Amino acid sequence: MIVSLKDSVKLFGISIMTCCAVTVCNLFLNYYLDLAAVAHLIDNPAAQKFYDAQLMTAKVVCAVSGGCLAATTVVMLFFYIKHYIDSHSREIGVLKALGYSDLKIAKGFFVFGASVLVGCLAGCLLSFILMPRFYELQNADGYLPDMAIRVHWTLLVFLVLLPASVFGLIAVGYSVLKLNQPCVNLLKGIVKTKGKSRDSKDKKSFLEDMRSSTLRSRKTLVFFIVFSSFCFSSMIQMSASMKDLASNMMGLMIFIIGVVLAFTTLYIAVSSVIRSNQKNITMMRVFGYDSADCKRSVLDGYRPAAYIGFVLGSVYQYALLKVMVSIVFADIEGMPDYKFDFPICFITLGVFIVVYEGIMFAYGQSMKKIPLKQIMSE
Amino acid sequence: MIEIKNLTKNYGKGESRFKALDNVSVCIKDGEFVVILGASGSGKSTFLNVISGLETIDSGSVAYDGRQLEAMNEKELTKFRRENTAYIFQQYYLLPHLTVEKNIKLGAELDNNKDFFPLIEAIGLAEKRKKFPAELSGGEQQRVAIARALAKNPKVLFLDEPTGALDESTGRLVLDYIIQLQANRGFTMIMVTHNANIAETADRIIRMNSGKIVGITENTHKKTAYEIGW
Ligand SMILES: Nc1ncnc2c1ncn2[C@@H]1O[C@H](COP(=O)(O)OP(=O)(O)O)[C@@H](O)[C@H]1O
Ligand SMILES: [Mg+2]
Repeated sequence: MIVSLKDSVKLFGISIMTCCAVTVCNLFLNYYLDLAAVAHLIDNPAAQKFYDAQLMTAKVVCAVSGGCLAATTVVMLFFYIKHYIDSHSREIGVLKALGYSDLKIAKGFFVFGASVLVGCLAGCLLSFILMPRFYELQNADGYLPDMAIRVHWTLLVFLVLLPASVFGLIAVGYSVLKLNQPCVNLLKGIVKTKGKSRDSKDKKSFLEDMRSSTLRSRKTLVFFIVFSSFCFSSMIQMSASMKDLASNMMGLMIFIIGVVLAFTTLYIAVSSVIRSNQKNITMMRVFGYDSADCKRSVLDGYRPAAYIGFVLGSVYQYALLKVMVSIVFADIEGMPDYKFDFPICFITLGVFIVVYEGIMFAYGQSMKKIPLKQIMSE
Repeated sequence: MIEIKNLTKNYGKGESRFKALDNVSVCIKDGEFVVILGASGSGKSTFLNVISGLETIDSGSVAYDGRQLEAMNEKELTKFRRENTAYIFQQYYLLPHLTVEKNIKLGAELDNNKDFFPLIEAIGLAEKRKKFPAELSGGEQQRVAIARALAKNPKVLFLDEPTGALDESTGRLVLDYIIQLQANRGFTMIMVTHNANIAETADRIIRMNSGKIVGITENTHKKTAYEIGW
């Protein structure tokens, strides 16, 4: 079969994403289950309120982070499959020409579930490492009876085996859809192009045309860039507020997750744009465009997406924390009021601009290093 | 004028070191049409890439009207390419997600050339200018590549087996376009081929073998693309 287990190693983005999701979910669900088990020990109304709030937090955190990350993982999975089919279109075309059915070829994509399995296992491991400290902090509040960690094996099924097989099946299903195209197109490597771009105004310069067509041809990457800066902005700002609202540990955890997700998705998106445009970049340079021109036409189109992601992230984290503080913790005394933190927002924005533009600049410089001869050696 | 002196190019290091170009010297006049002829692996492409500034020079020198390529840094080389050269490859290397017209713009814009429509007509693709490369035949794609190269009004045009991927009749057609455009515009043209027949269309033939020039002949009986054998 054409898809091998080795190919699924390249899907490390998915592993990282699911690892983050499972870490958070396992931590909170495990806590949730242990909490539910001590429900009968609660004897006063204040503790009851606190208990309800804790239960609610666990649910909200799992639903939001788990849901968000699962959805993004699906998008990323689709992206990898499409990319795989595009870059192996000739081999796949030959198989189809020989009479392999779409389903038979698609079945091979089940191994992409392995990347999810790896990520989930790593996430579980990580969460069990973090768990003692997490419980210690929760117990320190003293409102609720002390809790010991119990390992819930059912959680492992729901957080590891189930996601891995579901994602494997999704991979098969999606690749069946993607493989359903004429054999000739696969053999010739014809990528579907939208008719719209034909009629675009001819006033645009070549570099502008190049920029917009790069954007159009890889729409998923726009999503990744938005997601990347969304994570960066929301989680860093949230982690700063978390210090006041929850604990330093929660803040740090969210900070790390945010940074990891942001850089992973950014890396995947940008390296994919550059890889798929390598020939075009080389061709432009052969003709005398410099690396700054190439960067402008290939990478700069994503800039608005990055800043939109940042704004969305800021709004999202504000809304989420506001809801948590004013609804979930409404009855808990001593909860500080939550307001949008402008200084933190501006600092985060400043760091974001420096980091994002710096990375883009570095990628632009790296275009200089693509040997011009490469284009002839195929 | 392009003066090439004692040019050497090695690939690999140590034991696997390989001399792709061995002490090559030749002069190419302005407006001349030169063919580099040699068997596969004789170093023709390497020669073309080195003298056009796509690859670095190990030793020796390449000078365009006295300006030495080997002395230029990356920025100067880019500027040099922008102002002087254009390239046509065996594989056309059009940008797949841009239309014919916009592919040609890639070249045109480097010379601020707004008036490139006549060029599209000249290659006979006026009707197909809104099509994407994948919707064209090989010969048509190569004609787009020709228009793209000429749209920047290069002083020197480099071609590496431009008809290598085409069948005979398309090959003749494309070759004819190239030769006519060169005759009309008078730029310098250096073309690589392994086909001795094609070489008969040139002003001068440089024969290569094992990285060396083994013979240079003036071609007194220049033929057209339709007179040569294939
Ligand atoms: N990047 C490279 N690394 C090592 N050897 C190379 C490289 N490029 C070309 N060669 C070798 O140099 C020789 C000449 O190659 P080339 O100039 O492409 O020949 P031609 O175009 O005449 O067929 C060949 O033997 C080839 O294997
Ligand atoms: Mg060659």
